[in-house]
Amino acid sequence: MHFKRDDMVKYGTVLAIVIALAIPFLTDSMFILNLLVIMLIFIIFASAWNLLAFSGQGSLGHAAFFGIGAYASTLIAANSGMSPFITIFLGAAVAAFVGILIGLTCVRLKEWFLAMVTFGFAIIVQTLTVSVLAPVTGGWDGIASSRLLSPSIPGYQLIEYYAVLVITIASIAAIWYIMKTRIGLAFLAIRENELEARAAGIDPVRFRLLAFALSAYLAGVAGALQIHHIGYLTPELYGVDNSFWPVTYVILGGLGTLAGPIVGTIALTIIWEGLKATGLTFGRYVIVGVMLILAIIFLPRGLVSLPEQVKDWLKRRKRKEPVREPADN
Amino acid sequence: MDNLGVFLQIIFWGLYAGCIYILLATGLNLIFGVMKIVNFAHGEFLMIGAYITATIFFISGINPYLIILLSMLALIGIGAVVERFCFRPILGTGKLNEIFLSIGLIYIFQNGAAIIWTDEWQSVKSPYDGISLPFGSLSIPLDYILIMFFTAAIICGLYLFLKKTTIGMQMRATSQNRKGAMLVGIDVERIDVISFGLGCALAAAAGTLWIVSGQIFNPYMGSIPAIKAFAIIILGGLGSIPGAIIGGLLMGLAENGAAFLLGGIWKDAISFVILIIVLVVRPTGLFGEKGD
Amino acid sequence: MKYSVLFIASILFVAVFIAGCTQQPATQQPSTTQGVIKVGVIASLTGPASNVGTNMWQSAQVAADKINAEGGVTLKDGSKAQVKLIVGDDESTQQGGQKAATKLITDDKVDILVGGYSSAVTSSYQQTIAEYKIPYIVTGASSPIITHRTDIDTSYIFHHCPTTDTYGQYTTMFIDQVVRPAVNKKLGAPADRPFRLAMLYQDTAFGKGVQSAVNNTITTSKLNIQLVSQQSYRMGESDFRTPLTAIKAANPDAVYLAAFPNEGAPIITQARRDIGLNTIFLNVENNDNAQFYKDLGQYGEGAVIESRFSPYTAPAGAVAAAQNAFKQSYLTRFGTFPDMMGASTYEGIFIAARATQNAGTTDKAAVRQALVALEMPQVIEAMKGQTCSFSPDFRESTFDLWMEQLSYNATIGETRPVIVWPDNLKTTDFVLPSWYVAGSSS
Repeated sequence: MHFKRDDMVKYGTVLAIVIALAIPFLTDSMFILNLLVIMLIFIIFASAWNLLAFSGQGSLGHAAFFGIGAYASTLIAANSGMSPFITIFLGAAVAAFVGILIGLTCVRLKEWFLAMVTFGFAIIVQTLTVSVLAPVTGGWDGIASSRLLSPSIPGYQLIEYYAVLVITIASIAAIWYIMKTRIGLAFLAIRENELEARAAGIDPVRFRLLAFALSAYLAGVAGALQIHHIGYLTPELYGVDNSFWPVTYVILGGLGTLAGPIVGTIALTIIWEGLKATGLTFGRYVIVGVMLILAIIFLPRGLVSLPEQVKDWLKRRKRKEPVREPADN
Repeated sequence: MDNLGVFLQIIFWGLYAGCIYILLATGLNLIFGVMKIVNFAHGEFLMIGAYITATIFFISGINPYLIILLSMLALIGIGAVVERFCFRPILGTGKLNEIFLSIGLIYIFQNGAAIIWTDEWQSVKSPYDGISLPFGSLSIPLDYILIMFFTAAIICGLYLFLKKTTIGMQMRATSQNRKGAMLVGIDVERIDVISFGLGCALAAAAGTLWIVSGQIFNPYMGSIPAIKAFAIIILGGLGSIPGAIIGGLLMGLAENGAAFLLGGIWKDAISFVILIIVLVVRPTGLFGEKGD
Repeated sequence: MKYSVLFIASILFVAVFIAGCTQQPATQQPSTTQGVIKVGVIASLTGPASNVGTNMWQSAQVAADKINAEGGVTLKDGSKAQVKLIVGDDESTQQGGQKAATKLITDDKVDILVGGYSSAVTSSYQQTIAEYKIPYIVTGASSPIITHRTDIDTSYIFHHCPTTDTYGQYTTMFIDQVVRPAVNKKLGAPADRPFRLAMLYQDTAFGKGVQSAVNNTITTSKLNIQLVSQQSYRMGESDFRTPLTAIKAANPDAVYLAAFPNEGAPIITQARRDIGLNTIFLNVENNDNAQFYKDLGQYGEGAVIESRFSPYTAPAGAVAAAQNAFKQSYLTRFGTFPDMMGASTYEGIFIAARATQNAGTTDKAAVRQALVALEMPQVIEAMKGQTCSFSPDFRESTFDLWMEQLSYNATIGETRPVIVWPDNLKTTDFVLPSWYVAGSSS
């Protein structure tokens, strides 16, 4: 039984990757391709946020790392002439460093203090970027960012898509690997019960900081990718919008699972574009808000748990058993 | 203008602005005290209260100061609905869930308000606009005095309610020891609803007083005051009313000082810098937490 | 876990399916030889800028309707083409802007683009514009950077909207030529008395743009103006008493505000009512809307707004008639009044139509050439030389901006503007109100 399950996971993942590779050949719409690139970037970003949430830390200011990765990568590329494909990973390291600094202030805090502090850090980072650091960052006017691929290369959009896809798969694989190791187990242990974790010899502070560093790194990769894709960088990147969207994606998809951020980002991107096509403006946000609340109350483990819930419900109906409370309440 | 006059003026404006934060913070403390939950969407209740007052005023022309009560009542109702259908189902499932739920509420309320009332900036003209009372060397608009008066009245009313009425005592009991309250037969779920509703009513009062003083408003007006109110109660210590008042005053002074010395862009950031410094030194806030 | 992976796969599949479905209409779109000119309008329909964006989109619709009702656009072969508008919501974010632009250009295959408000958002898709070489008439963004950028090719981008450079320069010249002599006369001071100007500006690209424009104008034109205080505030602020106190302490003769109307109105109200700063306040054009007057009440007396499109006044003659006609059409169709970004977008559609007509074809390079060479009579806003044309260096059009002063009308309970500058547009002279207090007595 165990063996069969691993096989299914393997086949399922391969299937998903095959579809992702094939999509550009199923449509010649540049708009869809561009949409997919942005979606992939946000899959990385949402997964990064989710990684931090694994350790029980829910940040409301992840845009800070998104933006720092973007700024660092852009500035390094501008001053050294290195290709963005290299500077992205260097810029993300800067974000990780800042992540550790921010983490240091947060490690002893309860959840919603941490939420407020991270929120505040996004504002502080933005303020620094437009005031003290303005000579370097261009302040509110922003600066141009070297593109991932020069538009003069024929078919560059396609190559860009595959490059981003590869980086996305690599990021997810990295998270998957981390969660399999002792580190991942430590994260879960800290989230569940800090006292017991400590008793088991796990130092919560160390692992919390590590979670911050890893999460900030990946968020920085996403931010840098986004900016090198767009070509121009402004401080609006640190906005509340960019902090809230990954949270929404992950909650809808399934907090604390590997597939959750992926499913959530894809589902919500499709829904969002679909709603836009109907002409709804503010209504889009209301619907997303309602979905979020319904998910939190009725589907706390997100869309990824939907098949299981349906299966359970069908099983119960077949056996005609009295309705039991779902186990995770 | 002499320095003393300027100084007094600044203190006065700090007091008047502080009224809004005191009402918000007290409401938050009330909800947190009884239910131990965090609602980042609290500012949206301020906004709805403001819009209800404005709508009634535009339709009927009644003195907005009198509409406060109507607005507060409306928000007790709205708050009760939100508590019953959104927060009660997730009570006990962890603070993170409450935070995420709040984000959903923010999306719904802000954009719902934009759909109903459009997101254009609007303003309400107080009937006392233009009337100022001399006060030594200062000339203070009547509206500001009325705002301070109403805030004081509401806070006193709340105090009496908590101290003298049965429900008030039950609320205090529940906030001090929830299990114990259940054991002595208090219907804690009913107390939850009432507390949440009252907290929202205070937010509605804050919203009404905000617009009555001539401030212009739009659906997004609530988020910033709410965040500041949160920072204030964290600074002052969750559940502590004197802490909230002192925290509010400190925050106001720090903000204006920072804006003066470092430039206006720092006004928001400085609140968080202070918050972070305080939390690093004392992770439970300046005056600690009561009844957690 | 296994189910979730299959779930991802099926969602990806659904995505592709939808992609395939939405693909069909685009490839079946007739090209413009079938009598349609497709104009893409990029506007912020959601997000913080949505009231401006809605104004822009709705104004574009009024313009398109008018053009089509009058027969449309005549092409080289004599055939008539109708203007068809397609809107793209940039959601006031960079991602949204890029998505909207890409969709309009590659999916809807528009011939020309009009619109754009936030400079930050616009900068995110300028690359796409340059790449696909599609003409873009920017009608709402105030940053000069849009056409001054050197890292990409901006030759297809035409700026039909005054920039922060323009606001700052015009207002500073007005201060030097009109306000300064008026103050000197009131004080009986010698003509070489330096004018004491203070600035209160929004700490954003907009506010800082105006601030640097003012500083540059004073330096390059060697004006006798001293900047005695420059205070900033964060966007969305509602309490301005601290910076206003600092400004008051510097004793200015006037204060120039680089603010949005929801900030400008409280600034002036708090300054005059609470701080006792009884001076002349100068405002940027985006404040010239009905809500601003309503919020200001009596405290707006004497204030000045630099403007090109006002709800309550217009330069007498053809421009007034044209603006009223536009306002009426807009009001009939949408039940509210348009603002100036709407006005420039309205004109943007006419410019797009005229350029296409001049080129005789919708070929993008030809239309671009036609825009470069454009000499079109002004539409509803006063342009320099009564002509719409684009400067050869940065493809910016030159508006004939005016300065209007507000005076209180007790019956309405609000102030109303009258044009006081420049001479060819004014109806009356600038005056210092009776309660005005200058910065210093000598």
